Amino acid sequence: MSLLSADGLVKDFGGLRAIDGLSVSIDEGELVGVMGPNGAGKSTFFNCVSGVIPPDEGTVALNGTDVTGDPPESLAHRGLVRTFQDTRELETMTVRDNVRLAAPDQSGERTLPALLRTDGMRREEAAVRERADELIETFELDHLADEYSSNLSGGQRKLLELARTLMLDPDVLMLDEPFAGVNPTLTREIADRIRDLNADGMTVVIIEHELETLTELVDRLVVLQQGRLLVEGDPETVLEDERVIEAYLGGDAE
Amino acid sequence: MSALDRLPSGRGDTALLAGIACLLVGGLFALTPLRAELPSALYVFVEVGITFVIYGMLVLGLDLQYGHTGLVNFGHVVFFAVGAYATAMLAAQDTFSGIGLGYPWPLALLVGVIAAALLGVAVSATSIRLRDDFLAIVTLATAEIFHSIFVNFEGIFGGNVGILGVPRPLAAIVGDADTRMLATLLVLGGFTLITLAAVTRLTDAPYGRVLRAIRADELVTRSVGKSTITYKTQAFVYGAALAGLAGGLFALYNGAVAPGFFTIQVTVTVWIGMLLGGAANHRAVLAGLAIIMGLRLVSRFGLSVTPVSGDVFAAFRLLVVGLILVAVIRFRPAGIWGDPQELGVDQ
Repeated sequence: MSLLSADGLVKDFGGLRAIDGLSVSIDEGELVGVMGPNGAGKSTFFNCVSGVIPPDEGTVALNGTDVTGDPPESLAHRGLVRTFQDTRELETMTVRDNVRLAAPDQSGERTLPALLRTDGMRREEAAVRERADELIETFELDHLADEYSSNLSGGQRKLLELARTLMLDPDVLMLDEPFAGVNPTLTREIADRIRDLNADGMTVVIIEHELETLTELVDRLVVLQQGRLLVEGDPETVLEDERVIEAYLGGDAE
Repeated sequence: MSALDRLPSGRGDTALLAGIACLLVGGLFALTPLRAELPSALYVFVEVGITFVIYGMLVLGLDLQYGHTGLVNFGHVVFFAVGAYATAMLAAQDTFSGIGLGYPWPLALLVGVIAAALLGVAVSATSIRLRDDFLAIVTLATAEIFHSIFVNFEGIFGGNVGILGVPRPLAAIVGDADTRMLATLLVLGGFTLITLAAVTRLTDAPYGRVLRAIRADELVTRSVGKSTITYKTQAFVYGAALAGLAGGLFALYNGAVAPGFFTIQVTVTVWIGMLLGGAANHRAVLAGLAIIMGLRLVSRFGLSVTPVSGDVFAAFRLLVVGLILVAVIRFRPAGIWGDPQELGVDQ
């Protein structure tokens, strides 16, 4: 059974149809790449699935439950978390607080335990701190833990965003261009981390323009063009498909 | 460095203890024959001090809304006014005009806080999902609407005269003026310190982390699973309720409320105090407010020693306040004690 499925998604922006009857199904434990020329509807697809914008038509199902139009916070509770194409850090907060924020279901996030400074809150916060510091260390950001995230470089921001999402321990991780603006060494590191997470059972969906890294990484490629599904299949087959070559090297080449 | 990293292991905190101590000493003056004598030179300090601690509750609530959560409330005075009017109308015994119901004052104070909180709920229900600037416009408009309601519905709110005959619990027990002033300052200051302790606990906890995350980027905060509408509504309503408490206490101290006490000038003073001291820092906003109110004090003394007329002097005072503001914004845009990186003004 598919873990995440989008069926017949349509989204219009004014007169422009960004996605047009798009259906994609992702199985549990899959590592799927989404590619396509600029304007193919990749990010809109992500936005509709992750609840950032509701689709005009079509349905999204997560784990067999209809979640169409559910807001991001409720999807996060159901185990679906995403990153953003232009990294969005909480710039006025430290690296450590960026990561700690994402810890789910903290009693200290409610008024009364916060006012009473309950022991439960302290224990939970100590555990959160430990877990956050582990993640920060894994992504080699430990020397920056107390820095404001506005001081981080582009690549470090990508790492921080990944650490923050992992704090939620999601079932489905949707990454929007995780390698954009990241140097080759760091790209390999991030790719390795993604592979590890997937090996541990996490379902991962990645939008990426960096085709070489993407095709090495994923089990399956989904290619979009003008808001529709063009081709899908294993990377070798897809990249040799004439329609894909035309979409990338033809009139719409980047 | 997050505040939770340096929480003391016990539950004590200075502001809470100091607040309780103030209440106790104030109560001691009120309930025992203990009497204080104020040198007449200090009298004006105590008077301004009382206004300062009342406004202190306003600035702490506003800072919870704006400094920590990023909610722009340009009508903060309306919650202060609604708390004051509700308390006054419920408790007043024989008001000259308007409604006075003569209920016991503790009940009236409670209703004042609830009334302000409910208005906060109503304002957030209409505007908090919208963009920041809409909330600013709606709060500003709400304050103006209520101000004209208070002025024009004379039969209910007493028009420009307001509600008189509000019981003054401290004045009822303490006969002589000096002791009464000092006891009032201590009791109201106690309330402000306890408020300081409460908002500090809220913002030091993971609760405050969520608020600051909303200020930084609401969409990111939502996508890590936080229900930001709930938090924004809460922060707004808590700020409104604190203003209502300040209003209720003001009514019970002053013995009367009138539209003239609740002009836009109050909102402006509190905003300037917050920005001058440095938003998102409780002690800083109180210190900023103290500076602005201290300037008034200085100018009162200044008037008596300068050869110019009162009008000229008032204009000169405004000039000085303006220059200080320009200087602070130019050289310390995050406020005197504000953290530029936390407030995102260094980029």
